[in-house]
Formats: sequence, structure tokens, C-alpha cells
Amino acid sequence: MKTIKLLTLFIILISFTSCSTDNDDSLILAVETDTFLNLHAPQEGGIDPSTGQPLPISGAFTKFDFASGETTTSDTDWDIAFRATSIIINGGVSLETTDEPIRTGDAAAYIATGTMPSIESVDESLFEQDSSNGYVLSNWYTYAGPPSHLITPTAGKIIVIKTREGKYAKIEILSYYKDAPDNPDAFVDEERYYTFNYVYQPNEGDLSFNN
Amino acid sequence: MRPNILGFICVFIIAIGNAQNSPLKVRDTILIQELEEVIISATRTIRQLSSLPLPAQIISKKEIVSINSLRLDDLLEEQTGLITVSDFGGGEGVQMQGLDSQYTLILIDGVPLVGRSAGTLDLNRVSVGNIKQIEIVKGASSSLYGSEALGGVINIITDTPKIGLNGTISQRTSSFNTFDTGLEIGYKKNKIGLGFFVNRLSSDGYDLNENTSLKTVNPYSNYTINTKVNYKLNDKTRLDISARFFTQNQVYIASEVLRGESDINEWNTHIKASHVFSDAWNSELEFYTTRYKADEFLNDMEDQLFSNGFFNQLLVRPEFRTNYQVSENGTLTGGLGVTHETLKRTDFSESPIFNSPYLYLQYDTDLIKVLNLIIGARFDSHSKYTSQFSPKVALRYQLNDNLSAKGSVGYGFKAPDFRQLYFNFTNATVGYTVLGYNAVPDALEELELQGEINTFLVPPSEFEDNLNPESSIAINIGLDFKPMATISIGLNAFRNNIDDLIDTRVIANKTNGQNVFSYYNVNKVYTQGIEFNTTWKPNNNIKVSGGYQLLYAKDKRAEEAFENGEVFARENPSSPSFQLYKDDYFGLFNRSKHMANFKIFYSIEKWKVNANIRGTYRSKYGLFDSNSNNYLDDYDTFVSGYSIWDFAFNKSFYESFGLGIGVDNILNFTDEQNISSIPGRIFYGKLNIHF
Repeated sequence: MKTIKLLTLFIILISFTSCSTDNDDSLILAVETDTFLNLHAPQEGGIDPSTGQPLPISGAFTKFDFASGETTTSDTDWDIAFRATSIIINGGVSLETTDEPIRTGDAAAYIATGTMPSIESVDESLFEQDSSNGYVLSNWYTYAGPPSHLITPTAGKIIVIKTREGKYAKIEILSYYKDAPDNPDAFVDEERYYTFNYVYQPNEGDLSFNN
Repeated sequence: MRPNILGFICVFIIAIGNAQNSPLKVRDTILIQELEEVIISATRTIRQLSSLPLPAQIISKKEIVSINSLRLDDLLEEQTGLITVSDFGGGEGVQMQGLDSQYTLILIDGVPLVGRSAGTLDLNRVSVGNIKQIEIVKGASSSLYGSEALGGVINIITDTPKIGLNGTISQRTSSFNTFDTGLEIGYKKNKIGLGFFVNRLSSDGYDLNENTSLKTVNPYSNYTINTKVNYKLNDKTRLDISARFFTQNQVYIASEVLRGESDINEWNTHIKASHVFSDAWNSELEFYTTRYKADEFLNDMEDQLFSNGFFNQLLVRPEFRTNYQVSENGTLTGGLGVTHETLKRTDFSESPIFNSPYLYLQYDTDLIKVLNLIIGARFDSHSKYTSQFSPKVALRYQLNDNLSAKGSVGYGFKAPDFRQLYFNFTNATVGYTVLGYNAVPDALEELELQGEINTFLVPPSEFEDNLNPESSIAINIGLDFKPMATISIGLNAFRNNIDDLIDTRVIANKTNGQNVFSYYNVNKVYTQGIEFNTTWKPNNNIKVSGGYQLLYAKDKRAEEAFENGEVFARENPSSPSFQLYKDDYFGLFNRSKHMANFKIFYSIEKWKVNANIRGTYRSKYGLFDSNSNNYLDDYDTFVSGYSIWDFAFNKSFYESFGLGIGVDNILNFTDEQNISSIPGRIFYGKLNIHF
């Protein structure tokens, strides 16, 4: 009996060691799940509140890089960028609005219908890039109109992104208001602050968002 | 204002006078006659209510008088399964079996009221002062009445002159400086009967939110005048002529800088000749004309005209009806007529004319003594949309003296209204455009020529066919149970399957970033539920009644979307979204699952006193989609359920005086945000003088 037990233990130990050797060889990285709070995306211009007349829109987009999980001012090392309600990706062509960055990468995106857990993998056939027809990610929010004038991210819309490095991420935007209040008030809470959940798959070519 | 204050003082003086003036002269003739209630709207023949195979109810003059109501909406909202709902223009319409007010036909003495500028017929227009009874027939009734009678029919029967000269003067004064003054005179001798009714109602309106510069309801005043002449040429032939006139003037304030007036002028004339050819055969020839005219304007601070609008509808309808007694218990009813309608309105692409000849036939028979059958159908031809054939069949089976079962299946339709066909409206400040279906091709072409169209989402060629009438198949199955002489119970299960519901959709994007909307047939909707009514009359002094309606009103496409997992929501606006399931779908907007009413009427004949307390309840409902997923689901914001309680006390003395006092909405319920039509607690005093 004793020998059998020892043998079993030995086999288990062997198999563990071999496993970890495999991992070291292919470098499988853990899927990163995170929340980004208050990405500030200001803009100049827009509707003049005193006259109601539209003014030309300008101002730098706030860029975000999935690999670092941080905002960046780099002209090239970004995947997605925000300016007020406009969201662009680093792939395709610029609409050439004032201060809009040129696309240096080959990022692509689509909006999937579902919840964060239900979008388990990437459907590559759906990817599109910003083009003269408009931004791929233009349809992410709902404007309530008067009297509340709230901008809320539409429920059930998950943004799926191919980063400029060909890796995949999914985002759910939670709030457009500073500190993501439970019950935002467009007249009280500061707008143009994005809070979003995201999942980043750092392993190249892996279409799954599960580990 | 002066006469009204006088009237108010008068009420008080008499009240005080009476308090000091006992003992009273008591009449010793307490004669209670239980007359069988009859209804004419259900079959267009005089028909016993209790033997009818259709779900119907009657509001009697006695009830109307004892609750001291002013306008038709006060009365209807106390009835089981009916609720008054306001449209965005402020009109108070009636929702029946969960169907919108535009699907209930409103008649006065059998002829329709018109003037639905936004689909709703405002029940506030109808004074109850000269109403004899109100008949409510539920379920599709297009087999007799054609368009609009998709959900049901409400027929207001006005008083007929009684023998001799008699009349009533009444004055009701209530909170919000509301004064209602009425005079009704009737005269009948030998062959001639004359009736005259005039009513004036004025109010300061009310304000549910003092912090805003605008009032919830602006001051208004209106007059109703109704005259009638009946002339009996001989025993077999009679002539009825009546005319009704209504005029209202209301302050219209749109903002701090824009103010003006809105006026309504409405009249109708109704001429009817009736002849009895034989015991078995009688006919009526009728000619009805009505016009509804609404005008409004707004001026700016400098008194310059800012905007104006008009709505001018005319309806002319000759109709011939005949009843033929086929056998002892079989009656054939037939009618033919034509409806001619015109409308002139601001923002219309043209001044449309509708012509619609129609024909109907109905057979009402007792197959065997305990089994009654009504079978009928109507054919409506129309100059602008597909012809409609509306059949209906109804059965009633008397199981025993206490229990009967009834069931009916009918087809109902509502023709697309003028607005849905000919609207051509562009919002001056925001810039969106709404086009009627028939106006689309030309109007879009024009917008494109002017360079206002960015992209077409629906090709204009899709608008070459006709817009279909909204149609419904209604099923009603009910039981009437009278376990003992003092108790009656009614139960009715209903289902309305509606096809081709007309909705709006975006058909093009404009270069200004706004959209062009138009109407189209899309939704399949159903409403179903159970209605329960019970009355308990332990003796001649007390009547207790209760009613309840359970309602499910849903869009079939929405149900599919929930089933397919296409609908999502968030716990609060900033939390992750999750998927919704079929159980999370609440249903159509402005529908309450539960509605109930409870009433106690108490009278002491000896003292000539009667009092009543009435309560209505409606459970929570949703007015809009607050979480932007296009559907009303359990995670939306709802209007909370509420109940309204009213109390009235009436006393008559000196044969001809009647005094009433009461409180409407005792609990002072208001909901400034969601319900603008409930003003809060109202105290009133009322004086009637009969002569």
C-alpha cells in the first residue's frame, strides 16, 4: 500500500512539473479584467448654449492603450480614443475633423449585442474600421432628450476591438458622467467622463475572452 | 363671475335656511319600481340589458345625479375597466379593455362626435347635465358602427321632454373657482315635445407645480346649448330634430414670452323621421351633420403673431334603418348610409375628402327559448383605403333562472385618420418632419429638391400602396350569476387581437441631423383580461358595488424580442447590463394590470337624503421607456399605483329643491410629474331647483 501511495504522489509531482514547463514554453498570459474610472474626454465647440447654434468642434481626443491599460498622448501607440460622445479607433481613415488624429495602426471594432459575460469570443467577420461613412463606434449611447438630456450607454452593447497589435479586447461603457453616479443628473454631474469595464486578451491570436 | 358668486351665496343661504327649518314635510309614497333597464346601442333596437349576449353596462340618470359629476370623464372613470387617459394635447380620452381612446366610438343619441385632433376625443367637452343614461358596449362593434368601434361604443342618451312644462336650474360651485350653471326646460303636450338645455362651465384651472411659470391647466370657460323638437305627425310617424352647440375659450400660454388663446366651436344637427309601417315593420331616416372647429394662436411679448393653428372637420351622414320582425322572436335590422368627411388643418398637404358608403344587417333571434343569437355584418366602402367587412356573432344561453352564459366574436376596425395620411409638419425650432402616409412621395421629393435629405432609409416607392386600417378580432366570454335576489355577479373574459397597428418610424435622415417620420402598419398587439362586477342590494336603501379588471396588454413583436434575448437593461444607469427575459416585459405603455372600483350608495327616503362614497384604484403603469432599451420592462421607472376616493351627500326638500355637497379626491392625491389631469382635492356645493 505504502509503495502505491508513494508512487501516486510521485506521478502527480511529475505531471505538475511537466505542466509548468509547458506553460513556460508558450507564455500563456492571464486575461486582464479591469475597470477604468473617469477617462476625461473633453471637447471644444459644439452647440453654443447661449445661442443654440452649432460651433466647429475641436480638441484633442483622449487616447487609450489596452496593452498598458492607461491613457496615452502617443501619436501611434493607442487603440481607441474619446472626445465627448465620439469614439474612434486607431484603424481606417480619419473624418478629418479638427484635431482628429491620423490612424497609424490597423485596429478594428464592432458593437456586439449581449452582456460582458455572454460575449465570450471574437467574431472576426464583423470587424470594421473608421471610414468616410462614419465612426464604427458611433452608436453606443442613447440621448434621452428633454427634459433630462441624459446620455446613457445603451444596455446590451458590448464593444469588441482588435487592437493595433492584433490582440482582442471587449468593453462595456458604464457611464458618461464623472465618478459614474448611480443616478446621473445631466445638470449636476460633470459629463464627458467615461467609466468602462474591459477585458483584454493579451495572447496574440486568441479569440476567446476566457482563460 | 358675478352670477356665480351669487349662486354660491344662494347655496349657502338655502343650506342655512334648511338647517333651521325642521320638521320637514315627508312624502309618504315610497314606491320603488324596479324597471328593466333597456339599452339601444348594442343592437340598435330597444333591448333588455339583462338578456343581451354582449358585455354592456348602463350608467343611469340616478347615479349621474347622485354623484354630482360635471363632465363625461368624471363618470366614465368610475366604471369598471374604463380609465380616462390624457393625450399630449390635454384631451381626456377613455381606455377600454386596454385599448386606446382612439378605438372607442363616442356617440350622442346614436350619432358620432368628431374632432380627434390627436386621436383622442376629449370627454371634457360633454356636459352630463341633460343626460338620461350612458350606454357602454364593450368589444368590437364595427358590425353596426363601422370605423372606430374597434374597442367598443359609448352612447350618450340625452333627456326626452316629459309631459307638461318642467325644468331644472342647477348651480355647482367648487374649488379652483369652478362654476357650473345649467338650465334644462322640457315641454310636452299632445303631439309636440320641446327640450332646451344650456350649460356654462368656467374654471380658473389649476397648477400642480407652483415653481414653474406655466399653469398645469389654464383658465377656460365653455357653453353647451342643446335644443330638441319632437313632433308626432300621427300614431305611426314622428319627427325628431335636435341641435347641439358647444363653444370653449381657453387661455393658451406656451412659455413666459408666448401667450394666446385656443378656441373650440362645435355644432351638430340631427334630423330623424320614424315611421311604423306595421306591427312587424318600422323604419327611421336620419340626417346628421356636425362640424368641429379648433383654432389657436400664440403672440410674442410685442403682441406680434408667433404661430397659429386650425382644425376644421365636417361630417355629414344620411342613414336609413329598418327593423323587421321576421317571427315572434326574430328581428332583422338593416341600415345603409354614407359618411362624407372633410378636414382643413394646419400642416396638411391637402384638404382631404373622405366618402364612405356602408351597409349593415343584423339578425337577432331566440333559437330556442333559452338560447339567443345575434348575427350581423357591415360593409364599409371607402374612397381612400381598402373596403372593410366586419362580421359579428353573439350567443347567450340561460342555464337556469340564476345563471346565464354569453359569448361573442366580432371584427373591428379603425380607418387611418386624416393625420396619418396627410400630415406635413416640420417642427420650427427642432427641425424634424412628420409626414402622413399619402403625403410622403411628394413631400420627400420636395425636401430632396431643397437639399434637406441626407439619406433615405425607406424608399418612397413603399408608400404607393394604401395604409391599411387597424383591425381587431375581439372575443368576449362571460357569465351572469344571480345567486339571490339581492346579489348579482358578472364576469367577462376578453381578448382583442389587433393587427396592422399604425405606428411611426424614421424614413429618412435630414441634413440638419434630424429625421423624417412617417406612419406605417407594423405592430401586432393584444389586450386580454378578465372583468368582474358585483352588486349587492340588501334593501332599498343600500347599494354596494365593486368592480375589478385584470389586464394584459402586450406587443407581440416585443414579446419575441424578449424571448430571443435581444433586450437588455441595467440595475441603475451606471451598472453593467444584463439580459432580460419574457417575464421582465411589462407590456404596453399607460396600461395598469389591476383596476378596481368600490361604491356604496345609501339613501334614507324618509329624510330625502342620499349619500355615497366611491373609490377607484389603478395599479402601477409606465409612461415611457426610461432605460432606453425601447421596451417597457420591470427595470423602467413606473408611475405608482393610486386610489381616488369621492364623497357626495344630497338632500332634497320642498318637493323641488335639491342640495348637494361633496368632496372629490378626498385624499388629495396628485402626481405633478406624471398625471396632469388630477387637480387634487375638490370641495363643492350644488343646488338644483326643479319646476
